[in-house]
Amino acid sequence: MKYTAIRIAGLVGAALLTACAGLPGVDAEPAPPVSANSAVVALVDDARSAVGAGKPDAAGAALERALRIEPRNAALWQELARLRLSQGQYQQAESLAARSNSYAGTDRRLRALNWRLIGDARNQLGDVRGAELAYARADEFER
Amino acid sequence: MPRIPWKSALTRLADEVTWRRTRIAGLTLLLTLAAFALYLDIAVRAQFEGKRWALPARVYARPLELFPGGRLSPEQLVSEISLLRYRTVASGDAWTEPGGFQRRRDEIELVTRPFQFGDGTQPALHLILTFDDGRIERIRRADDGSEVTLARLDPLHIGNIYPAHNEDRLLVRLGDVPPALVESLIAIEDRKFYQHHGVDPRGMGRALVTTVSGGGVQGGSTLTQQLIKNFYLSSERTLRRKFTEILMALLLELHYSKDEILEAYLNEVYLGQDGERAVHGFGLAAQFYFAKPLEHLSLPEAALLVGMLKGPGTYDPRRHPQRALARRNLVLSELRRQEKLDDRQYLAAKTAPLGVARQAPGSLTAYPAFIDLVHRQLRRDYDDADLRSEGLRILTTLDPLAQRAAERALAARLPALEKARRLPADSLQGAAVVGDPQNGEVHAVVGGRDPRFAGFNRALDARRQIGSLIKPVIYLTALEQPERYTLATRLDDGPLTWQERGIPDWQPQNYDKEFHGEVPLPLALAQSYNVSSARLGLELGVPQVMARARALGVEQPLPAYASGLLGSAALTPFEVTQMYQTLASGGFRVPLRAIRAVLTPDGHPLQRYPLAVEQAIAPAPAYLITHALQGVVRAGTAKGIERYLAPEIAAAGKTGTTDQLRDSWFAGYTGDRVAVVWVGRDDDASTGLTGASGAMTVWGMMLRDLNPEPLVPPQPDDIEPVLIDPATGLRADAGCADAVELPFIRGSEPAESSPCAGQAPAGKVRNWFQRLFDRD
Repeated sequence: MKYTAIRIAGLVGAALLTACAGLPGVDAEPAPPVSANSAVVALVDDARSAVGAGKPDAAGAALERALRIEPRNAALWQELARLRLSQGQYQQAESLAARSNSYAGTDRRLRALNWRLIGDARNQLGDVRGAELAYARADEFER
Repeated sequence: MPRIPWKSALTRLADEVTWRRTRIAGLTLLLTLAAFALYLDIAVRAQFEGKRWALPARVYARPLELFPGGRLSPEQLVSEISLLRYRTVASGDAWTEPGGFQRRRDEIELVTRPFQFGDGTQPALHLILTFDDGRIERIRRADDGSEVTLARLDPLHIGNIYPAHNEDRLLVRLGDVPPALVESLIAIEDRKFYQHHGVDPRGMGRALVTTVSGGGVQGGSTLTQQLIKNFYLSSERTLRRKFTEILMALLLELHYSKDEILEAYLNEVYLGQDGERAVHGFGLAAQFYFAKPLEHLSLPEAALLVGMLKGPGTYDPRRHPQRALARRNLVLSELRRQEKLDDRQYLAAKTAPLGVARQAPGSLTAYPAFIDLVHRQLRRDYDDADLRSEGLRILTTLDPLAQRAAERALAARLPALEKARRLPADSLQGAAVVGDPQNGEVHAVVGGRDPRFAGFNRALDARRQIGSLIKPVIYLTALEQPERYTLATRLDDGPLTWQERGIPDWQPQNYDKEFHGEVPLPLALAQSYNVSSARLGLELGVPQVMARARALGVEQPLPAYASGLLGSAALTPFEVTQMYQTLASGGFRVPLRAIRAVLTPDGHPLQRYPLAVEQAIAPAPAYLITHALQGVVRAGTAKGIERYLAPEIAAAGKTGTTDQLRDSWFAGYTGDRVAVVWVGRDDDASTGLTGASGAMTVWGMMLRDLNPEPLVPPQPDDIEPVLIDPATGLRADAGCADAVELPFIRGSEPAESSPCAGQAPAGKVRNWFQRLFDRD
């Protein structure tokens, strides 16, 4: 009886944790704003809405427009990388994440995210070894 | 006369027969008429539909983005909106119509024109922009003062892509025609246009009278009838032709709306002759006579064109200006009489000069070289049928201000160079390409010294040896091997003899015919030493170097021989721009593109051109080569750039000169532009110009006008700056006289310290390149 209760509690707890892991805000820190420029922020919002509405092309156009305003914004390049990953354009996603890294400076959090993205892209492309290397780099930046 | 009964019976019979015959005849006539009408009906519809399909795709430049913090001076904004033909609104005038602006020192108020972009329609916006120190400080709505974070100006219409049958037309949509023109047309040619059904009986009556009285077949034609005449029929003036014309006009009105007919008329009517080419349609006529788009015609200009309808040859404003002026004023006075104008408008228009452009423009677009690129990129990625059958809208990447800067620089420098070097006038030609290093968008393409002329597009098609422009590829290949080469490496510029089976011994020479012994790597590049560069390339292996060129985006096959190291390969300015774009972006190759979006007439994107990025070279070597190319400008062969750009811009670049001074090249980049200029002769003869004395001066002038951003590439995390003693290439400290800081890929820094290190401080650190420059 007791064990069953414990097991049930354990299962419920695990279920809750799994559910929570998918929610935003479970990360250690909240994501910083994408930009100080309100135009860029507005465009990123538009892009995210477009993704939610199932319009990836419109999202891409909004991000490209934002990039014309701030071509060296690492967070923007990463948004675009994430979009391309979701669209199945894995080579593009990897290149864009690398581009984001080139502007990331000392932002370890961003670099970690980029490397994780690169790992995902490489996995999809069948480059398992390359993916492992990328994830390892992501771990370094997360420490 | 007695009445004979059989006679009246006969008469009655005769009447009956006649009546039946008449009936039969009448029926036959009716049937023939019906058959004829049916035939005409089919013909009318088929032809009309066929012509209507011929709406070209309209091409637009990039819209200027406005946002707080954006780098834009009030002067630049005024330039842009002047190109867009915004009119100045005087103080006190009402702000009602889009396309107006007012400049008040550091503030500009304007009303944008509505435009349907790929991501939605932007309505007319009434904004007040405040500027500070070369940037937009804030943007507010004029009505409620609320802040605006992002807005776009309407983009400049730069031309049209035409259907395959190559009829020279500038087709316009009814909506784009100035209302003044439509009103004048109807008032003068066919007052009852909107009321009648194809023919105007009273007008016809008058014409009939004139014909019957022997005055020949006169006008009295409605616009519909005139359209029929232009569209379908020959110019015979017989009664039978008139009858057919009337029937067809009625049929046309049956099938099509007034607006459709009017639009067809505006595009079909004959308005003059340009040598062998007939000028059809008001769109083309506006361009041909006034060198403006139809949308921008003024009242007197519209009146002149309407006046010319009765006889474009007779009233040709270039050949018979007095007659044309009189005719125009007649039209204006008739408009006044019909109260379409008030006194003020009438007087202003009547006293205006003819306004005819002296020479007809040679091409229908002001940007033929760029449009050429657009056309090629569309052809590569779309079905021709898709492009022709719909009224597409093509949003491009053209930056009209960059285009203007490029054109002006070529136009100014080429004659100056000819004069300075005593070259025959008009013997020099040139080309320029300007683009965005980050996203590969093409801002400007100039195909020759006369940019309006749609001839040989040198930017895209002139394949010329690139000479020293290949050298950065050699040095990049070297710097990608940090265990062997760094910016502190010393190269051998001593005599070189290269022996290869099958070719004569190759003994490259430097430009100054000297050998310079041991030279630091950056100096060899800065001074463009042939000998040390060739030696370096041979050490690395020619195929290895050429493979890196391919990674940078060169698609042309490259020579596998040693001479390729000194630029025997022939590329177009556009291809060179692609190469340098990869360097300018820090190693990311983005294919150069001229098109942002293609939209259907109702605004849906046909296909989006997404940003396609590929990391061609690792960030660290890319960073090092940019550093070295900045040295070329700071103290090397491109030092002359300082006449045009302030040192803070820190541009990177490379001069290129070929054998016997046949080609003069300059390729370079700043923070926001990558640009390539070529200068030479079409007949490939020597110009006596080096890259520095020729193309570089064009590049400098062009970039100066663009107020470029400084080049401050982000430092990759595996780059370490280290103090170096240039005399030895070893580590230095403040004790060394000429110590300079150089970037290194981590792990490749020299381990040893120079003898001077550890000694007492001796003098200030001097500029690396200046020191080495003096030494030689």
